[in-house]
Amino acid sequence: MKLPDKKGYFGEFGGKFVPETLCWCLKELENAYFRVKKDKRFVKEIDFYLREYAGRPTPLYFAKRLSKYLGIKVYLKREDLLHTGAHKINNTLGQVLLAKYMDKRRIIAETGAGQHGVATATVATLFGFKCDIYMGEEDIKRQKMNVFRMKTLGARVCPVRSGSKTLKDACNEAIRDWVTNVKDTYYLLGSVVGPHPYPLIVRDFQSVIGREAKYQILKKEGRLPDYLVACVGGGSNAIGLFHPFFKDKKVKFIGVEAGGLGLSSFNAASLVKGSIGILHGAKSFVLQDKFGQIENTHSVAPGLDYPRVGPEHAFYKKIGRAMYATVNDNQALEGFKLLSELEGIIPALEPAHAIYYLKEIAKRKKNSLVILCLSGRGDKDLEIVRKWGS
Amino acid sequence: MGKLEVYFDKLREANKKAFIVYVPFGFPTIKLSEKIIQLLSTLKVALIEIGLPFSDPLADGPIIEKATQMALKEGATTETLFTSLKKLIPGLTIPVVILSYYNPIYVFGVKKFLRRCREIGVAGVMIVDLPVEEATLYIKEARKLDLDTVFFVTPTTEEKRAEKIMKASRGFVYYVSVTGITGPKNLSPAKILTNIRSLKKIRNIPVCVGFGIHRKNQVREILKGCEGIIVGSAIVNYIAKYSKDKNFFKKLPSYIKRFYV
Repeated sequence: MKLPDKKGYFGEFGGKFVPETLCWCLKELENAYFRVKKDKRFVKEIDFYLREYAGRPTPLYFAKRLSKYLGIKVYLKREDLLHTGAHKINNTLGQVLLAKYMDKRRIIAETGAGQHGVATATVATLFGFKCDIYMGEEDIKRQKMNVFRMKTLGARVCPVRSGSKTLKDACNEAIRDWVTNVKDTYYLLGSVVGPHPYPLIVRDFQSVIGREAKYQILKKEGRLPDYLVACVGGGSNAIGLFHPFFKDKKVKFIGVEAGGLGLSSFNAASLVKGSIGILHGAKSFVLQDKFGQIENTHSVAPGLDYPRVGPEHAFYKKIGRAMYATVNDNQALEGFKLLSELEGIIPALEPAHAIYYLKEIAKRKKNSLVILCLSGRGDKDLEIVRKWGS
Repeated sequence: MGKLEVYFDKLREANKKAFIVYVPFGFPTIKLSEKIIQLLSTLKVALIEIGLPFSDPLADGPIIEKATQMALKEGATTETLFTSLKKLIPGLTIPVVILSYYNPIYVFGVKKFLRRCREIGVAGVMIVDLPVEEATLYIKEARKLDLDTVFFVTPTTEEKRAEKIMKASRGFVYYVSVTGITGPKNLSPAKILTNIRSLKKIRNIPVCVGFGIHRKNQVREILKGCEGIIVGSAIVNYIAKYSKDKNFFKKLPSYIKRFYV
């Protein structure tokens, strides 16, 4: 079975639910991607930039003190050590090269917390593209430092004042720009969401995480892990880690969603609390009311604060390949502290959700071998955590 | 042949073109939008395209986006839309089509949604983000119920796709005048007419043009080469500006009429 299929479906999830204007450019993107994927020059070029510019391979670090504390064996896949501080650059590097091969002149992207925006602005500058980043007005207020980073890198940050003024609306606005400027503009989507072929493209570029991790764990432990754990918002770091292990049936996948203020209050747990719907071009799990209107979300981790999840995750859930759980704001902050204090690594609040969940795994089975995707570093969140403490 | 095709035939026999108005349901309030629908019927516009609001209307510009958010706050839902239309349609002299994004329809249930449309006398449905490739179930169910399925063709649609879309369309085809979102724009009527001519060669089904139209001369120019024209944002903008005026319902007719009389 090939996933996704020709029409972009993972089982019943995925597809291309877009206005007619975009059908043409999705086809163009699909054709271009399948062409360059086989192009040795392209593959070599990505490999070069991932190594020389972004800093791959990232270490698979055995977290000795954390392991001792929990009574399980935890390895951290250190995506936080990459240039710009998160796994996002794996995808933006791949896609910006694709844009170059497609002869586009301008890059646009949406961003919530600003991590994908920064990673996009970075590669746009590296390859000399004009770059516009859409960001909700609310997020601009919350993430001043990242706005400044993007501007320093030469990108224009376009404030979005529609709807809830957050990531979902930034997405709408980026798509509106794309609909208007399809011919010369490349839309650099930041997660494994959106219409086909985006979930496929982003997954392919992020799969480097899982491929490396598999090689590294076999070298260090001589066996595959019992669990893979990662946080899930749109789900790109999790898919990146999970996908290369898809056929290794003994390796269990656990995706951790943002429980926010609790499952009966505002959260961002699309898979655990949502229902099937269509948003931003794909059928997947969505947080919505009974009439299909999209609901507002909340998470202390800005990168998880989003009402939908990638179709491949929806599929993994449906077939039981992965298990999805939630961790709420307070617990995530506990995870944040735990890693900082035991290992001297300050994690981003997104993977802090996954770190907290290790406690649950420890309860289930002592001595399990676990790989956790440490998708980003916590510098960007220090202000949030500081305020939370006071 | 679709119901609306018969309707367009009659218009042609009477030597008339269709002036179509789009308004989102529930905007500025449910009550006022009911009154606006009734008014449009008395004004002899050809057809009402009523929008079922969706929280994330990504093909719409700021005017309709704002109106949509307002409508949702006012309590516009799939249920309230059906309740209002059920009450209104028997008193209307012109057909009504529903325009929406796919999610509210999908969540309501495609079959159930179309059945309700049929029951209350809606002529057809158009779904902005449902391209033909994804529309198999929708088309099948709509055919069974004899509801018209209006699809979109845009300047970026290639000929092969256009063939598929023209074939799947019943009632009329919605030609999107620009590569972009809804809202007032400068248009190039000559280009639009050329594109419509090549569409007509594929299949002779009524073509109505929408997106960006906000001036009378645009209406006049474009109507030379097609059966109808759709005005949305311009009228929605007028409603947003003046709906609180005392004389609103006296002024709105003359604003709308100046497009086509």
